[in-house]
Amino acid sequence: MITLTDFLIVSAALFCIGLYMIVSKHNAIQILIGIELMLNGAILNLVAFGKFDKINNGGQIFALFAIVLAAATTAVALAIILNVYKKYRTIDPGRINNLKD
Amino acid sequence: MGRLNIQVSPTGRDLEGLIINYLKTLIPYQDLSTIYFAIAAVLLPLFACIVNCCLPGKRNKVSGWIATIAILVSCILSISIFAKIWNGHPAHIQQLWFIIGSTQLYAGILLNNLSAILLLLVSVIALPVHIYSIAYMKNDENYDRYFIYLSFFCFSMLALVVVDSMALFYAFWELVGFSSYLLIGFWFTREKAVQANKKAFLMNRIGDVGLLTAIIILFAQYHTFDITQLFGDGGLVSQSTITNGLWISPVGSLPAIWQYVACGGIFLGVAAKSAQFPLHTWLPDAMEGPTSVSALIHAATMVAAGVFLLGRVYPIFNTTELDILAVIGCFTAFMAATIALTQNDLKRILAYSTISQLGFMVMAMGVGAYASSLFHLVTHAFFKCLLFLVAGIVIHQMQHIKEDNDLDIDPQSILYMGGLRKKLPFTFIAAVIGGLALIGLPFTSGYLSKDGILIQAVDWSDNKNILFRLVPIGAIITTWLTAFYVARLIVKVFFGEFKLEQFHPHIKYHISDGGWKYRVPLMLLAVACLFPLFSLNPVLYEHAWVFTGFSSTHLQRINIYHTIVPIGVNILSLFLIYWAWAVYTERKLLIFPQTGLLFHMSYHEWYIDKVYRKVIVRAVMALSRVLSWFDRKVIDGFIHLLSTVTIAISKIAAWFDYNVIDGISRLLTFIVQITGNFVRRFQGGKIQYYLFSMLAIVLALLIYLSV
Amino acid sequence: MSLAQVLFYVMAFVVVGSALFVASTKNLVRSIFMFFITLFALAGLYVLALADFIAITQIVIYVGGILVLILFAFMLSGKETLNVLQQQKSKFISLSKLPAILLAVLFFVVMVNVITKIDAGNIGWIKQAISTNTEIKPNEEMINNIGINLMTRYLLPFEAISILLMMALVGAAHLSRKERGAV
Repeated sequence: MITLTDFLIVSAALFCIGLYMIVSKHNAIQILIGIELMLNGAILNLVAFGKFDKINNGGQIFALFAIVLAAATTAVALAIILNVYKKYRTIDPGRINNLKD
Repeated sequence: MGRLNIQVSPTGRDLEGLIINYLKTLIPYQDLSTIYFAIAAVLLPLFACIVNCCLPGKRNKVSGWIATIAILVSCILSISIFAKIWNGHPAHIQQLWFIIGSTQLYAGILLNNLSAILLLLVSVIALPVHIYSIAYMKNDENYDRYFIYLSFFCFSMLALVVVDSMALFYAFWELVGFSSYLLIGFWFTREKAVQANKKAFLMNRIGDVGLLTAIIILFAQYHTFDITQLFGDGGLVSQSTITNGLWISPVGSLPAIWQYVACGGIFLGVAAKSAQFPLHTWLPDAMEGPTSVSALIHAATMVAAGVFLLGRVYPIFNTTELDILAVIGCFTAFMAATIALTQNDLKRILAYSTISQLGFMVMAMGVGAYASSLFHLVTHAFFKCLLFLVAGIVIHQMQHIKEDNDLDIDPQSILYMGGLRKKLPFTFIAAVIGGLALIGLPFTSGYLSKDGILIQAVDWSDNKNILFRLVPIGAIITTWLTAFYVARLIVKVFFGEFKLEQFHPHIKYHISDGGWKYRVPLMLLAVACLFPLFSLNPVLYEHAWVFTGFSSTHLQRINIYHTIVPIGVNILSLFLIYWAWAVYTERKLLIFPQTGLLFHMSYHEWYIDKVYRKVIVRAVMALSRVLSWFDRKVIDGFIHLLSTVTIAISKIAAWFDYNVIDGISRLLTFIVQITGNFVRRFQGGKIQYYLFSMLAIVLALLIYLSV
Repeated sequence: MSLAQVLFYVMAFVVVGSALFVASTKNLVRSIFMFFITLFALAGLYVLALADFIAITQIVIYVGGILVLILFAFMLSGKETLNVLQQQKSKFISLSKLPAILLAVLFFVVMVNVITKIDAGNIGWIKQAISTNTEIKPNEEMINNIGINLMTRYLLPFEAISILLMMALVGAAHLSRKERGAV
C-alpha cells in the first residue's frame, strides 16, 4: 500500500532540491530547472491528494493547470534569459545588477 | 589787585552753585589780566612745541623761528607780569581740580615775588638761547626736534615756577627732568650721550622719589597741596612745632620723624635737580647735550629749580636742617671748585663751576641768606649762560677746524686752544665779563650776590661753634679757587699761542665770532652780567633790588667783617688771577706738579663717580644678578613646573579624550559600520541572496511555530 | 510488499536521485538530460497515484515541450555560453554552497516533520472519502470525468489559463524576436 505520506515526502524532497538549486546556482537555466523541480514537487502533491476526489477531480485538473502554467513560465523565462544574455553576455543572475539605462 | 584766594566751603555739595558763587566772587573784584598773561606765557612754548610737531619736513627752518617768537612773546608777557607783581600784591587764582572723597584738590596759579622773578628769568634767558640755537643748530639733522624739545622744556619750566600746588609742582618737576633727559640724549647715536642721559635720568629719579615722599608726608600732615596755605606767611607749616617727639600742626600731628623724612626727601629732590653733593655726578656728564642746551638747562634754569624749590618750601626747615644744608652746600661748592681746577674739557670746567655755584646757593639758604641765595640764582643764571654760550662758540669753531683739516682732536679740550682773543675778539670780551662775574669781582652782578652770601655766612657763624666757622672759610676758599680756575680757563683759551697750530703747523682755519644770532645773545647776557642792571651801587649788595625784594630787613654794616671779607677776598682773587695768567702764559713763575695726590684727586673728580661705580653700581648689579637668578631659577622654575604639570594633565586628558570618549563614539561607529557592512551584503542587488534571506526567515518562522 | 510499492520506491529513488544529480552537476547539458529522467520518473509516480492523464500530459508538455524548449534555448545561445559555463569548477560540495545546502536540508527536515505530524492518512475529508468510497480506484476510468469537469465546473479557470497561456506565448515570441536593424 502506497501511503499519502510517501508521496508527500518525495514531493518535499523534490521541493527542497529545487530550492537548493534556486539559491545556489550561478546559471539562470539551472535556476529555471530548479523552479521546475519545485513545481513538480507541488504537482506531485496535487496529484497525490487528487486520488481522493473522484467526483470533482480538483487535484488532477489543477495539476494540469499547473503544468500548463509551468510551460508558459518556462517559455517567457527562456525568452528573458536570451535577451539578458544578448545584453550582458552572461546569464549569472549575480552579475546582472544594472538596470536598463 | 587784591589777593585772590578763594576757599570754597568743603561742605557745599552743589558743584554748580559752587562754581557760580566762585565766578561771582571772581569777576567784579579781580583784574585777571595778570593771570591770563601768566597762563599765556606758560602755554605759548607748549603751543610752539605742538606746532613744530605738526610741521612737515625734518629740517624745517621755520620751527626755530616759531619757538623763538613764542618765547619772545612769553618774555614780553613775563616782563609785564613782573612789573605788576614785583613788590606788589601776589596774585593767586585757584580752580577746583578734582574731589577725592571729601578732599577737594585745587589747581591754580600763584604769582608772587619768587615766581615772578623766576618767570622773568627763565623767559629772558631762554630768548637769547633760542636765538643762539637757531644759528648753532642750523646744520643739525634734527633741527626741528631740537626746538620741539626746547619749547617743551620752556613750557615745563615756566609752568613749574607758577603753579600753586605741590602735586602740580611735582608733575612739572618731572616734566622738566624728562625734557632734560631728552635734550641730554639729543644726539642719541652717541654712546656717551645715551649713557649720560640715562645717568641723569636715574639720578633725578632718586631725587624725585625723595620729593614725592616729602609731598605725600606734607599732605598726610596738612591735608592740602596748596603752596600758599602750606608755606605762606602764617601758613600751616610756620604754625607747626615739634614738641615731645610729635610734629604738631593746626590740622593734625604725626611723629616727629616724619618731619625729618620730609625734609630729607625735599633735600634729595634739591640735590638731584641742583646737583648737590651725593647726587651731583650727572651734571658734568650732561654736557654731552648741545652746548646751547647746557647753557639754558644745565646752567641757568633747570638746575636752579632745586634752589627754587628750597625757596618755595623754606619755612619747613628748622635750624638743624638748615645747618646741614649749609654744610652740604659748602662742601659741594668746595669740592666742585677743586675738581674744576684740573679739568681740561671746557664744558666740564663750566659744569663743575655750576655745581660749585649751586652749592653756594644751597649754602646761602642754609645760613639764612634767603634773599642772597635767590639773588645769586638770578645773577648766576645770566653769567653762567653767557659763559656757556661763549664755550659753545669756541667749541663750534674748534669743530670747524677739526672737520676742515680732518684732525683727530677733542674740540672741547682746552689743551688745544690758546690765543683765541685775536680770532674771536667779541667772544673774548663776553668771556671776560662772564668770568669776572663768576669770580665775583666788583662792578659785576656776581660780586653783588656772592658778596652778600659770604658776608651773611660769616655773620651766621659768628656766634656759633668753632666748627661752623669752616663753612664761611670754605666758601671764601672756594671763591679763591673759582678765581683761579676761571682765570686758568680764560688764559688757556684766549691768551698765549694757539696750541693746535703748534701741534699741527700746517692747518688752515678761518674762524670768527659768527653772525648777529651769535653776537646779540652774548651782548644781551653780557650787559645783564654788569652791576647797573641790579644795583646802582656797585659795591653794596644790600641795595640791589632783587635782594630787597626778598629781604625786608636791612643789614646794618656794624661788624668789621662786612668790610674786610669782600676786600680781602677780592684782593686775593686779583692776585690769583694774575698768578694764573703768569703760570699759563708760560712765564713759569710756578709750575704745578701733575703727579701729586691732590692733583689726581681733583683730576679724577674726587673719585666719586668711580666709587659710585664700584660700590653702588656693582652692588646693584650683584643684587640684580641675584634677583635675576632667583627669577630665572625659582620663579620661572615654579612656572615651568606649573606648565609642565599642566601639560602632563592635559596630555592625560587628551589621552582620555582620544581613547575613552572618542573611543566610545568610534566603537559606536565601528558597530554601525560592521552592521552596515553586514546588512549591505544582503542588499548587493543579488536576487539569490534576497531569496536566501527570505527563505531563511520563513524557515525560522516555521521552526518557531512548529516547536 | 506488492509490485506497486516496489515500483513506487524505485520511481521515488529515481526521482530523488536524478534530481540530486541535476542539482549537483556542473555540466549543464548533463543536468538537462538528467532532468529528463526526473520528469519521466515523476510521470511514473503520477501513474502510481492513479492519475494517468496527468502522467501523459506531464510527458507531452514537460518532456516534449519545456525540456525541448530549454535545450533549444541553450543551443541557440551559442558556443561561448557553453564554454563559459563549463569552465566553472566542478566540486561536488563547495564551501560557498554550504548555506544553501543547510537551508534546503533544514527545510526538508521541517517539511518531513510537518508531514509526519499531520499524518495525512487521517485527515478528515480523506477519511470521509474512503468511507463514502469516493476515492479513485485503480480500475476506474477518470479521463471522461476530467473532461466533463473541465468543461463544466472548471470552465472559467480553463478559459483564464488559456488566455494566460496565449499571452505568455505572445510575450515570449515578442521578447525573443530580433531587434529591428540588429541584423
